[in-house]
Amino acid sequence: MRRDREQPNEVRVTTPEEITGDVLRRYQAVGRGYWIAAAVTAALFLVGVMGLAFRLAGGTQDQAAWGYYAATFAYLLTTVQSAPLVSMGLLFTKAHLQRPISRSSLLFAFPGLLVFLLFIPLLPLIPPTKGRNSLWFEWPVGAPHVFDTLALGFLVLSGLVYLWMASWPDLLTVRTHGRGWRPRLAGFLAPHWQGTQGQWRVLKKALVFLGALYFVALVFTNSILSSDLSMSLVPGWQSAIYPPYHVLTALQGGVAATIVAMGIWRWTGFRSYLLFDHFWALGKLLLTLSLLGIYFWWSEFIVYWYGRTPREQMVLQLVMVGPYLPVFLSAFFFSFLVPLLSLIWNRVRQSILGPFLVACSVLLGLYLDRIRLYVTAFAAAQVSEHPIEQVPAAHLPDGADIMMMVGLPAGAILLYLVASRLVPGISIWELKESLLLRKARRFVQGYAVTLGKPE
Amino acid sequence: MPERPHRWGMTVDIDRCTGCQACTVACWAENNITINTQDIVNERRGYYWIRIERYWEGESPALKVRFFPVLWQQCANAPCEPVCPVYATHRSVDGINIQVYNRCVGTRYCANNCPYNARFFNFWERWPPEPMNNYLNPDVTVRSKGIMEKCSFCVQRIRRTERQAAREGRELRDGEVQPACVQTCPTGVFTFGDLADPNSQVSQLAQDPRHYRLLGHLGTDTSVIYLKRIDP
Amino acid sequence: MQDRRKLTDSKINEDLLRSVDHTPRAFWIVAGFLTLWIGGGLFALGNMLFWGLGVTGLNRPVMWAFFVTNFVFWVGISHAGVMISSILRLTHAEWRRPVTRAAEVLTVFALSTAALMPIIHAGRPWRVIYWALPYDFNRGVWPSIRSPLIWDPAAIATYLTGAALFIYTTMLPDLAVLRDRAWGKRPLRFWLYAILSLGWRGSSRQWKLQALAGILLSAVILPVFVSVHSIVSWDFAVALVPAWHATIFAPYFVLGAIHSGVSAVVTLMALMRRFFHLEDYITPDHFDALGRLLIAVALGWFYFFFIDFIFGLYSRESAEVAVMELRLFKAPYNILFIIFIFTAFLIPVPLWFMRRVRRSVLLMFITTILVNIGMWLERFIIIVPGLQYKQPLDFTWGEYSVSITELAIVSSTFAVVSLGILLFSKLFPLVPLSDQKEGQRLQDEIEIGKRSVPAVIREE
Repeated sequence: MRRDREQPNEVRVTTPEEITGDVLRRYQAVGRGYWIAAAVTAALFLVGVMGLAFRLAGGTQDQAAWGYYAATFAYLLTTVQSAPLVSMGLLFTKAHLQRPISRSSLLFAFPGLLVFLLFIPLLPLIPPTKGRNSLWFEWPVGAPHVFDTLALGFLVLSGLVYLWMASWPDLLTVRTHGRGWRPRLAGFLAPHWQGTQGQWRVLKKALVFLGALYFVALVFTNSILSSDLSMSLVPGWQSAIYPPYHVLTALQGGVAATIVAMGIWRWTGFRSYLLFDHFWALGKLLLTLSLLGIYFWWSEFIVYWYGRTPREQMVLQLVMVGPYLPVFLSAFFFSFLVPLLSLIWNRVRQSILGPFLVACSVLLGLYLDRIRLYVTAFAAAQVSEHPIEQVPAAHLPDGADIMMMVGLPAGAILLYLVASRLVPGISIWELKESLLLRKARRFVQGYAVTLGKPE
Repeated sequence: MPERPHRWGMTVDIDRCTGCQACTVACWAENNITINTQDIVNERRGYYWIRIERYWEGESPALKVRFFPVLWQQCANAPCEPVCPVYATHRSVDGINIQVYNRCVGTRYCANNCPYNARFFNFWERWPPEPMNNYLNPDVTVRSKGIMEKCSFCVQRIRRTERQAAREGRELRDGEVQPACVQTCPTGVFTFGDLADPNSQVSQLAQDPRHYRLLGHLGTDTSVIYLKRIDP
Repeated sequence: MQDRRKLTDSKINEDLLRSVDHTPRAFWIVAGFLTLWIGGGLFALGNMLFWGLGVTGLNRPVMWAFFVTNFVFWVGISHAGVMISSILRLTHAEWRRPVTRAAEVLTVFALSTAALMPIIHAGRPWRVIYWALPYDFNRGVWPSIRSPLIWDPAAIATYLTGAALFIYTTMLPDLAVLRDRAWGKRPLRFWLYAILSLGWRGSSRQWKLQALAGILLSAVILPVFVSVHSIVSWDFAVALVPAWHATIFAPYFVLGAIHSGVSAVVTLMALMRRFFHLEDYITPDHFDALGRLLIAVALGWFYFFFIDFIFGLYSRESAEVAVMELRLFKAPYNILFIIFIFTAFLIPVPLWFMRRVRRSVLLMFITTILVNIGMWLERFIIIVPGLQYKQPLDFTWGEYSVSITELAIVSSTFAVVSLGILLFSKLFPLVPLSDQKEGQRLQDEIEIGKRSVPAVIREE
């Protein structure tokens, strides 16, 4: 019985009307904090775009110069683009707990637009597959450029469609109960939604289908992009676990991004929905994923280190213990060790601030990890089938790199802020549904929760 | 124990090899190797501590035949060593990968991991038949079933010579130790000696521009160094 | 999703303890048959020990084959227990209840059998004490911890201990029931159960500790569970053999293990349902839920398999390509490969997508048997072609063909595991009584409008 551990100042909203009213009120009230955040991120984004412009002016001949840009792109791909999966996961596991979380993670699908745009300048940087190791074996025609673009485009599009469809019922609520320009926008976005039984049935089926599709697309896109943009650029690097590692860190980044977004939502208003339970549950998930991350990293390391062949020693030198050792160590510390060492303690895990801070650390660590993987790959890039014989010196970021590295993630945050004004930040319909399926009952000597599990 | 540990090594000059197989026979006689009967060879379980590989290049009449003696490579960075669970194979101070027959339990992991395929497993108990057992070298163990064996650089000869030198109170002379194959080869393909001594004949030959190592890309750092054949 | 039937406690006791109380003639027939089978295996083993490994089909390049394949296979099967018990316990999956014990028992017997295989396969099994147990204190000769073959016994011993503890802890309340039922009727059994049940009275403190121990053991055993098959995979991955030397092996093997292990549990459940008359407990709902789980596991496994396959060819090294060629185009590996890919993935998984198949006990039985045939072949196809391809610097390119000795020994391991589970069911219930009763108390319903939705009571 968890009654005793519940924090006293947390108010649970208990009727459907209260939920509608409360969420809509907070959705419509745009505070000063929001505008400040929007202005700051917009300014930073501008800086980032300027950095990109500088870089573009330098041309795409110098591959090494684009390393930090590629790292930024990969970072956004592995955090922003995989965060919506947290919400989709609940559909498969029928977990009631995650209902209030779903929208804060799903809104990350909107910045996916930026991820897709950022991919375009990278296209000319992927060398042709002839005469080097690559996933595509010089086949089919147009690979990797065409297929990478198609995969990423499909991923971004299906994320947007999912976000759009999952907000239909809420858009109806906004249309009927909202104020100002919002009903018109909502009507424009979901004109057809009436909430009939047939529509609900279609919506539920479609969401499950799209969620599964999104997951498959995410795995596929991460697998091929990670190979094309980093591993296959390093001759002699042939690690089959690298694509799954990339997928795994993407899931980790998605969960971390969701926790951070949830924390901010909670402190800016949705205090009665995003409760301690949700942070706790996602904290456990983050811990699991971090442990798996260590495991995946280790299974690459042990095989290479034990094998002791010069080719593999060079790869280890390049991406781990060579000139990028500080980056690797700090990435490992922030994204794997911090979650492990802090989240195994109940005191840290069973709190709100704990998972939030750990998630911030993971986001930082993943950024460093992407730098370690992509900057090295771009610096080492050479079209050859022979293993590298000399580890290049560390490539340091220049002014444009720093501008992009700060500005482009800020752009993603800006898009998230924009999206949060298009639809409510808490999924009203999912909360209402959970009110129906979740009842507190007397059980033996205390209270317990009864969870309905519809077929 | 010498002040400076030896690193025993060998050069194999392919240019001199005529493929006469004398080394194979010498090795068999010296090291009590099981007789490769027809049955054993058909089972693909033959024992060749040193073997002459034969390669054909080109078509007749421009046909070229290459002979290529392959023995155990005595890797300094041996893939077989770390995988043995019982230290049955490990590196001695003088740079030989020694095989301790007593400790071997026969996991055969080392054989899998040997890129040169130079390890042999005793599938049967093979005591030589009646008159042949009189040929056995008393200095060398006859291996029982279930253990691995491989070329030892004729370690019994090395030790005997070392003892001899110690008795006479002197250092080992270069070229004093001669494994059976080295001693027997009529064309002088093999040169055996101490690679740690820069003045030894083998170290000099290892500097030859023709030198290379088998499967060098694996980084095994072998002590057997080949000298390339140069076609006239 | 759960079965909604209300069953009384005494009915549950009676049904689930039937295998303990009654010994039908079929039991003796089956047990006798299995014993004979094992006897045949033991004879083959004795023959092999006497003559040496020459009686097997092993030859110079192919030093590991059938026994090692079987070792990996049984370690894989043993992953079922923890997968079912621990992960499902931690995620509060209600449908785990009748499945857990059988899965754990399968784990213990499969793992013990697996642990025998490397010993049997060694050239001098009587010397294995050097290797598995560091005993030599006098001469200071210790096993080499650098060898993956030393990591293996450590991992297996840890996992075996953990799994046995797991069974024992979760069985305490059942043992107490058995003890109370045996009182006055069967004195020998009474004493056995009385000692084993450690004075269990069912006080609330005892229940609390038992529940806590279950959760803690689940959490602690998870890393062990992942590590065991990873370490088994590193036996291969750290070696320089082409097609073995792949970084992905650890998670790939673990997923494959879960795939075959959960399938084996489904097979076992179908057999239990049929022969122990547990139709009220093991229902199509459980097969449905396990079928969904299997879909997820199989898809994940296939992803790893595919990546491994692609990245085997990635470098286009001649050795890797040669192994691939051997696997795909040379008999018998091409035939085995086709059988493997169809039985392990292409036939069962599309079938499982159909709800009708998932709810049919017979079809689930057949498909899961297929999966395990495929997964056995998968290990064989990983292990042998990697050694058998035409290696450079050697002219003895032997081909491996299995001998009758190996077949006899390997097939008798299946009899060992079956007989173990059968004997276990003679002494202890294969479906946990207490878990089942708890499930009965926690089921509930929620009225929504005119419909009532099945629900579970959850402490949270």
